[in-house]
Amino acid sequence: MSASGSRRRLAVALVGALVLGGSLIGASRLGAEEGAASPSEPLPSILDGIPQSGTALGSPTAPVTLVEYADLQCPYCAEWTHRTFPALVDQYVRQGKLRIVFRGLAFLGPDSDRALRTAVAAGRENRLWNVVEGLYHRQGHENSGWVTEALLDEVAGPRAVAARNAPWVVAELAGSSRAARAAGIAGTPAFQIGKTGGRLQTVPLNSLGPEGIQPAIEATLAS
Amino acid sequence: MTDRTLRLATAALAIAGASVAGYLVWVRETGATIVCATGGCGTVQSSEYAEVAGVPVALLGLVGYLVLFSTALFADDAARLVQAGVALGAVIFSTYLLYVQVALIGEVCDWCLVSDAIVTLTAMLALLRLRVAQAPPASSIRPADSA
Repeated sequence: MSASGSRRRLAVALVGALVLGGSLIGASRLGAEEGAASPSEPLPSILDGIPQSGTALGSPTAPVTLVEYADLQCPYCAEWTHRTFPALVDQYVRQGKLRIVFRGLAFLGPDSDRALRTAVAAGRENRLWNVVEGLYHRQGHENSGWVTEALLDEVAGPRAVAARNAPWVVAELAGSSRAARAAGIAGTPAFQIGKTGGRLQTVPLNSLGPEGIQPAIEATLAS
Repeated sequence: MTDRTLRLATAALAIAGASVAGYLVWVRETGATIVCATGGCGTVQSSEYAEVAGVPVALLGLVGYLVLFSTALFADDAARLVQAGVALGAVIFSTYLLYVQVALIGEVCDWCLVSDAIVTLTAMLALLRLRVAQAPPASSIRPADSA
């Protein structure tokens, strides 16, 4: 094979590569721009149809209120959310029996703080619980930088991301910290329960499964 | 290095790449939790860049690796050209996807990095195959030729 023949083959291969690579890049860019122009419908969520107001999930007239103290980076909190939260939503919240209030804490590091601020900011759009659920679903290693701007944009939307340093968000975070200190919360997840508007009691959590919290809910409903 | 050695190495790399791409396709189809050291794989795999014209990038990668494997089975010029074209095209697309991960998504997927390394090595082998094809076989060189 001559040197000119070899160069010709290399040129043919390079042209083929440029056509292939260029086509794929073009199609990818086009798809991404279309996706940005017309955001896809949100995936069905267990929260669909349940009222939210700020940090609260469920009917404001529900007889029992459960307060959840959690860090969005805490793996046990994520496990509780995966294993138990859907059952509580189905059996109690959707039935109007239970209201759950999220008290976010950010003691694990900077990723906790970024995630929590954004989730609380989404509360003003009554979407805090969707953001919390979305972040737990995508939870990465502790302080690995997994709470990126792209992730927050995707899960919470640009409005919540932009509002995360607002004074009312800072005030909400400080309020949660004060409440946790007052309740003697030493780790997460932790829960308080009581009649709505009444005195709250700390729930000793023996299991991250539904069996860990259901007896306390049933007892408070029955009281 | 002989063409046979390069073909064997290409086949081995293609199998490794197909395994990575196949795993990502499986995770996508079953919704299984992805094994990921950086924690960024889920974000990257669920981004709008994870599909091209509705086809998952992982599936495109799987098809690409199978094509590369096929080209390793044949010793003719057409196979060398297809391997070089596909491998270099894959390097171009992989470079773009790496830029997307770092600059646009802000997360990096481990599996994508492994695939990037495999496809780059495959492209280098493809270029070597083109060079080997250019050199005349040793048996065709007679003493008189080199005098």
